[in-house]
Amino acid sequence: MAASKHEKRVGKAYLREMAGAFLVYSVLLMASIRFGRPLEDGVLRLMVLLSPMIGFCLALWAIARHLGRVDEYLRMFLLESFALAAGLTAGLTFSYGFLETAGYPRISMFSVWMVLCGATMLVCLVRSVHAKREAR
Amino acid sequence: MNNRIRELRAEHGWSQADLAERLDVSRQSVNAIETGRYDPSLPLAFAISRLFGLPVEAIFTPDQETA
Repeated sequence: MAASKHEKRVGKAYLREMAGAFLVYSVLLMASIRFGRPLEDGVLRLMVLLSPMIGFCLALWAIARHLGRVDEYLRMFLLESFALAAGLTAGLTFSYGFLETAGYPRISMFSVWMVLCGATMLVCLVRSVHAKREAR
Repeated sequence: MNNRIRELRAEHGWSQADLAERLDVSRQSVNAIETGRYDPSLPLAFAISRLFGLPVEAIFTPDQETA
């Protein structure tokens, strides 16, 4: 079914802002790998290696602005989904912490963000399918 | 909260997308309100009331009257 004008307007603005954030992140990530890694230990190296977080923060800002633009039902739906996904991520990563104690391989903290993204997509998908079934 | 939105929408010959367009919300919102999964805020309830030309209490009724 076709999206309403509201959905199109909100969706376009979100994609535009998220694409900009991703572009900034990608450029800074490549620059930090190219120029940050060879630097000697110190504040400058830390700053350069952390610089991709500027793009990350822009992405968070894009998400916050998206939440401010969507209508009230979608805002509630998204915020509930984020809360459930955060809880799921906490449960999964906390459980894996115990498994590491049991001898499982140590995993980088970077994986937490990927688990959170996956959990958010899964929660949104399951809730959307459930909502569609209820609507019939 | 119960509501007559589906019935009123049908009387006007509007689809959920048409109503969403007129209220400037998503189609999912109209669907969630119609099926009782979501109760709209007061501003949205008044916007719906204005659109159908009926008072809010003629469109929305509580599940059970409270004391």
